Amino acid sequence: MFLVTELIALLAANLILTQALGTSTLFIAAGSRKNLVGTAVVITIFTTAGSLAAYIIQRELPEKYSYLTLLFYTLSVGILYVILLSALYFISRKGFEKTRKYIHLSAYNCAVMGTLFTITEKAQNDASFMTLKSFFLAGLSSGAGFIIAALILTAAYRKLNSAKVPASFRGFPAMLVYLGIISMAVYALR
Amino acid sequence: MLKEKRNERQIWLDMIITLLTLEVMAYFYYGLRAAFLAGVCAAVSAAAEFICLRLMHKDFTADDLTCTSDALIIALMLPAVMNYRIAAIACVFAVTAAKNIFGGRNNMIFSPAAAAYVFMMTSWRAQLLQFTEPHVKTGLFENAGNLVSSASHSFKVTGKLNYTDIELLMGNFSGPVGAVSILLLLVAAAILIFRRDISAGAFIGCMGGILFLAYFVPMASTPWLSVKYTLVTNMNLFASIYIVSDKRIAPKRNYYAFFYGLLIGAVSYILVLTTVKENPIVMVSVLFTPAALAFKNLEKRIELAKAEQEENEKAAEQEANKEAEEESQDYELNAETDEEALLPEVSEEEAAEPDSFLYELLSETEENEEPAYGIDTAEIIPEAEEFLYISEDETEEILTGNTEETAGQESENTEHSETDEAESDEENALNKEADEDE
Amino acid sequence: MSNSRSSVFDGLLRENTVLSSLLVISPVIMCGDTLRNAEALVYAFSVITFFSVMIASFVPKKLPYAVKIIIYAVISSLIYIPVRIVTQEYFPGIVARIGIYFPLLAVNSLIVVQTETKFFRMKKLKMTFSLIFSILGFDAVMLLTAVIRELLAYGTINSKVVDMHTLISGLGMPFGGFIFLGLMCGLYRKIRSMAGYEDNKVRSEENVSGN
Repeated sequence: MFLVTELIALLAANLILTQALGTSTLFIAAGSRKNLVGTAVVITIFTTAGSLAAYIIQRELPEKYSYLTLLFYTLSVGILYVILLSALYFISRKGFEKTRKYIHLSAYNCAVMGTLFTITEKAQNDASFMTLKSFFLAGLSSGAGFIIAALILTAAYRKLNSAKVPASFRGFPAMLVYLGIISMAVYALR
Repeated sequence: MLKEKRNERQIWLDMIITLLTLEVMAYFYYGLRAAFLAGVCAAVSAAAEFICLRLMHKDFTADDLTCTSDALIIALMLPAVMNYRIAAIACVFAVTAAKNIFGGRNNMIFSPAAAAYVFMMTSWRAQLLQFTEPHVKTGLFENAGNLVSSASHSFKVTGKLNYTDIELLMGNFSGPVGAVSILLLLVAAAILIFRRDISAGAFIGCMGGILFLAYFVPMASTPWLSVKYTLVTNMNLFASIYIVSDKRIAPKRNYYAFFYGLLIGAVSYILVLTTVKENPIVMVSVLFTPAALAFKNLEKRIELAKAEQEENEKAAEQEANKEAEEESQDYELNAETDEEALLPEVSEEEAAEPDSFLYELLSETEENEEPAYGIDTAEIIPEAEEFLYISEDETEEILTGNTEETAGQESENTEHSETDEAESDEENALNKEADEDE
Repeated sequence: MSNSRSSVFDGLLRENTVLSSLLVISPVIMCGDTLRNAEALVYAFSVITFFSVMIASFVPKKLPYAVKIIIYAVISSLIYIPVRIVTQEYFPGIVARIGIYFPLLAVNSLIVVQTETKFFRMKKLKMTFSLIFSILGFDAVMLLTAVIRELLAYGTINSKVVDMHTLISGLGMPFGGFIFLGLMCGLYRKIRSMAGYEDNKVRSEENVSGN
């Protein structure tokens, strides 16, 4: 029972199904296994590590300089971007060659930046949320949400790109309508 | 192919007969209004189907009348006094957005009726969940008075239903016009399962999941009362027959269909138990559509694997026969057999990368990057492929402009593929492939 | 000539930023439910994107790809600051109305993706026009989506009540945005393919007459 309620809560908080954040990236991720795993892992790393950075920025940045939030978030994601690329480069050249495209794709992505701003908004509305653990878990669950949405799309990927789908709707438009109907069911159950 | 078509028509005919029976019962309880509502739904659906098919340059054939069964399912899930305009919009949504955009009856993803119901639930919740009492007959164009909430709602609030067993069986309580006639629904379920018109596995799984939980985690004072009330409320029985067990959506094999139904049944019961949602089974069935697709993908994979195994066995047998013949010719006995030679060759890359079960379950695309059917990433986002493979070292190369040429060619190809003429060739080839698959 | 003309106008019609390239779709889905939201978003998007891309075009091209992307994002984040201050000063309420989608515009795909793959491969003047039409392409889709969705979902246009019998409130929700955008994309593709067909027809007729 707990699992079902958690599943519905996870779907209801899903950034893609409820806020359409990172939809374009999702379409790339759902296209093949390698893209799905690669993008999902990298986005989860970015959302989780980015959330930790967002916590520090929120704690340290005075209220009157709130307009600088975006700049600091951009810089922190940039730093993460460079760290990830460098770490991969020094750990394994082969891994770097294989994985760098996902890092390029995920760094400045609506799913990542949207997660940071959503968490920040939540913390501003609810003071009890302003803990490192809450930020960390929220970042992690955003990544999990991306994976769930990618799996939902992957399951129908072939049908949505089938020759039976009218040419005008094949691919992207059919995917949007498909996600829309799934999102509608989630909304009805919220 | 002919057999398949006959099957499809047979299923539709059986469905229509059971749905019309339910409609007769609705007429008995709610008068002409319920029948007229069903007529509006059927007419609008047929018209929408006709227009969609014309837009897709296809002919409207007798088989396309299957949309009327979906229309009747929608009508039977509504209150008798539902606004005609809302019902019509829902039917148009079912036929266009939930069905024909994905390729129509040959490429179903969602149950059109379920999608339309969820659509109404999100836009006109109040109208959808307000009913007239049975035997209160409203005029065709009259505004309904004395609306009440459903028996499902009362059961959720009070934990009991003040109706006799006969009343419950005959559907003499407030609720959607077709989803309350329990006796008729039980008979319909038996007939449809017996005639293999619905997925028996999905039906048994779904009802089993709901009733099992209703017994062990009761919502009423006793487990048996909980089972009884759960059976008759929240459109559980109706949706189990006409939505969850829809053969177009549910997995083919009863084994997988059972688990698919079980998931939906269990989740919807838990939602009834823990939230104030009414009729969550319909929403859950839409939400679990990807699960149905995943099971279907798994079925296809198993079929392919079986076919491959059979081929390998045959090849191995032939090879063994050949060897035996050669041996007998040379009069030499060789006791060693190389078992590895009989196994299919596995490339280094395949051996290095273990398969993730979850992905295998969900995706039909093979190891290769490009999907087996349809467009690839570059077609969805022309820049995506370039962007994906861009790197520090390649920046110079990209900026030289060579890639523009390629991109131009690519976009030309994309456009060309969208014209009807080019598409027909491609479609023929893909359809052939799909037919072979099936 | 025709080639250069078509590539400059691409972002508006032939390769529309939203409908064809599926870029910047989340604001259209989330904020494209009323005309007032759309106007706010169109203003913010246009200003931030135009100035960010123009300034970013001066970044040395020989820098590593990742570094360039970070610099572009930082530039747009810096441009966001005065835009936000001006918006708060003259149009109070807009920032609150479009919420997190306002700062997210600073890292939109037109800035962090299309700069490298499209705009910076062009000459400055061509790039400027191409950028303007790409922005206009987004603006047009945003406004059109907003007008239709507002009318059907709330029965108003720019907050003025219009006589509508049946409202589809779901269209104002994110899922309504997904479905509506999907339908619009399909329609756009259909029109585009029909136009292509017409082109082919004209070309083939020319060939015949030429012969």
